[in-house]
Amino acid sequence: MDRRKFLKGVGVAGVVSLAGCTGGPDESTETDGENQSDQQQGGTGTDTTSGNESESTGTDSTDGGSGDGSDVNVGMVYATGGLGDGSFNDQAQTGLNRAAQDLGVSFNESEPSQVSEFARFQQSFAQSQDPDYDLVSCIGFLQAEALTETAGQYPDQDFMIVDATVDADNVANYLFAEHQGSYLVGQMAGLLTTQEFAAGAGETNPEETTVGFVGGAEGSLIGKFEAGFTAGVKAVDSNIQVLSNYVGGSSPFNDPTAGKAAANSMYNNGADIVYHAAGNTGTGVFNAAKEQGRFAIGVDRDQSVTKPNSADVILASMVKRVDTAVYNSIEAVVNGNFEGGANTTLGLEQEGVKVVYGDQIGGDIPEEVKTQVSDARQQIIDGGIEVPTDPSNV
Amino acid sequence: MSEATADAGSGESTLGNTDGRLLIAGGVVGAFALLFVVGTLFPDSTVGTLSYLLLQPGPWSSMLTLAVPITLAAVGGIFAEKSGVINIGLEGLLIISAFTAIFAADTTGSLWVGFGAAILASVLLALVFAVVCIEFRADQIIAGLAIWLIALGFAPFAARIVYGSPNTVSLTNSVPAVRHAGIPVVSPVFQTLSTTNALGPAQALFRASPSVYLMFGVVALGWYLLNRTNFGMWVRASGENPKALDTSGVNVHRVRYAAVLLSGVFAGMGGAALSYNIGQFTGSGQTMVNGKGFIAIVAYLFGNYNPVGAMLSTFLFTLLEAIQNPLQTAGIGVPSDLIGTLPYIGVIVVLALVGRTRIPEAAGDHYETGEDR
Repeated sequence: MDRRKFLKGVGVAGVVSLAGCTGGPDESTETDGENQSDQQQGGTGTDTTSGNESESTGTDSTDGGSGDGSDVNVGMVYATGGLGDGSFNDQAQTGLNRAAQDLGVSFNESEPSQVSEFARFQQSFAQSQDPDYDLVSCIGFLQAEALTETAGQYPDQDFMIVDATVDADNVANYLFAEHQGSYLVGQMAGLLTTQEFAAGAGETNPEETTVGFVGGAEGSLIGKFEAGFTAGVKAVDSNIQVLSNYVGGSSPFNDPTAGKAAANSMYNNGADIVYHAAGNTGTGVFNAAKEQGRFAIGVDRDQSVTKPNSADVILASMVKRVDTAVYNSIEAVVNGNFEGGANTTLGLEQEGVKVVYGDQIGGDIPEEVKTQVSDARQQIIDGGIEVPTDPSNV
Repeated sequence: MSEATADAGSGESTLGNTDGRLLIAGGVVGAFALLFVVGTLFPDSTVGTLSYLLLQPGPWSSMLTLAVPITLAAVGGIFAEKSGVINIGLEGLLIISAFTAIFAADTTGSLWVGFGAAILASVLLALVFAVVCIEFRADQIIAGLAIWLIALGFAPFAARIVYGSPNTVSLTNSVPAVRHAGIPVVSPVFQTLSTTNALGPAQALFRASPSVYLMFGVVALGWYLLNRTNFGMWVRASGENPKALDTSGVNVHRVRYAAVLLSGVFAGMGGAALSYNIGQFTGSGQTMVNGKGFIAIVAYLFGNYNPVGAMLSTFLFTLLEAIQNPLQTAGIGVPSDLIGTLPYIGVIVVLALVGRTRIPEAAGDHYETGEDR
């Protein structure tokens, strides 16, 4: 029947073209049709996709900055959690926006949804001629493998990567001493779980001295958070139990359902404070804390501000100034002193990591707890406390 | 498919062929019994930890919550497939309703409006699917895939337009668990029962959010509709022998429309329950639905098109997922990726070895009134 064949054909064509539309930014490396996150949104944002911009003539398709003469272009490849995670990626964007405002740089952003897409986005920025990107920012340790290859292929392109070390002359590596900041929130959690404390919508469990840690993907990076946190807790009292869980799966940093299940299981086991290092998965941790009337500790940004609905259970956040790394690298490019191959570690001393108490309930935390935390901070800076980076060494 | 084979299946009982499944159910119960015996004998072993954990209400609570979207979509899928329309677009229906629930609830401030809007969005998408499949006789598998891909593309796109990122904002209000809902008499009773340690794992039943009870209700309703009403009989006939149904004066197309739209209703409830659980829709990658629609298909095949069976097989899958968290905190790591593949391994085993899932005779076929077949 003709009509039937016609419709079948239309159906197939529709599916294929739909898949095609959502393909990669670069026509030469078009692969599967499973991603649709290549639209970008610059600060002032038109929504041309990055696919068009290698062909576009004339001015920049998305100009993030107000532009005061600086002709520096920055390509940004976010981590898989995507913008709106209220932590890691949003923090990176803050730095980018600040650079656009202060330094007048232009930028383009891309949000890969899968690890397999990193290489494609990095390359499309690297090979783009119009605009010619002066720096490609890669956020997240999962990009390291792809960047090792991309950096080798484009030796004239400058890259920066956050959270990982790529051994290449054209890559600036920015690392954070997450274990140091995590130690401090661990100390706070340890001090609070051993006392009766209630604030906002949460309270500690006086019968148990247990705290929890929810990580995204298991590995050396998130291991630093866990190691620091556990060490901080144990420094208060080695009898405090630290439950630890890694969400894993196909989207470890963007799976709030799994994060909620993991945190719930900890709260059910007597934990009263759960620290997470899992990007948007942490939304589920906060959710569980609210439901159970317990506490949580945020990560990367002041999450009592970025997740205002959960502000009544967020005691503090271990802020990681990814924005500083992004900003500094852009500034270096603008000033012409970009140093490829350099490793920069931002720790407590450089304020690369720090503890920010919750916007809403942070004020209720007893002063002596805060004093001990700031004492510990000073000791770490002075070298009096050596914080482990591997959870198996705690 | 010939008429002769179609007739062969008509003598089947309402519950379907159950012996293979009874074997599996027996096996599961036996495995649990063995687990507890060994666990009691060797409390310090891995098995001991596992049986200890299974006696806590926590994993069971998680199991129920995780099962809601899958079971609801599965019950919907049963109706569609029983009527002869294989709805592999369930995943898409879940995605669109999960997003719509948050969007509408966020815009209007009412969770109920969000819930209704989610069902509406899912039904509309199911309607598109139904029209394409029934009216225009498109291939059901291709149309189903299209439904999935449309939703997979549209929901994150809409989220990006509205919220500037594939993830929506978090809702300020959430659905309280029944025990915290402040309903006179009911809430205090649930609160008491949910903390009565003597009940053991059954405490989980009283800790649940309303969506879990909705799931039980839908499963019961689905079973009743399918097996005890005229409509259910029509649906089954429409999938087994549409010509006979047509001859008896019932419009096959209308029955199929109704069944597909019903799958939209149930999947819509599932999607709303999924995103309400977190209060946010996350749209990057495979979105927060992440294959739950496909596991739903697996679950109802596993459960032989019986809503109760579908729910129980969903429980089996989600319990594995739920127990993985406390196991990991107890120091026994089970890779979550492996757990994620178990439903699919399970269904292959069931379909290949037990082999009792009988797909409705006319599923996937078009039916045209008056056409000589």
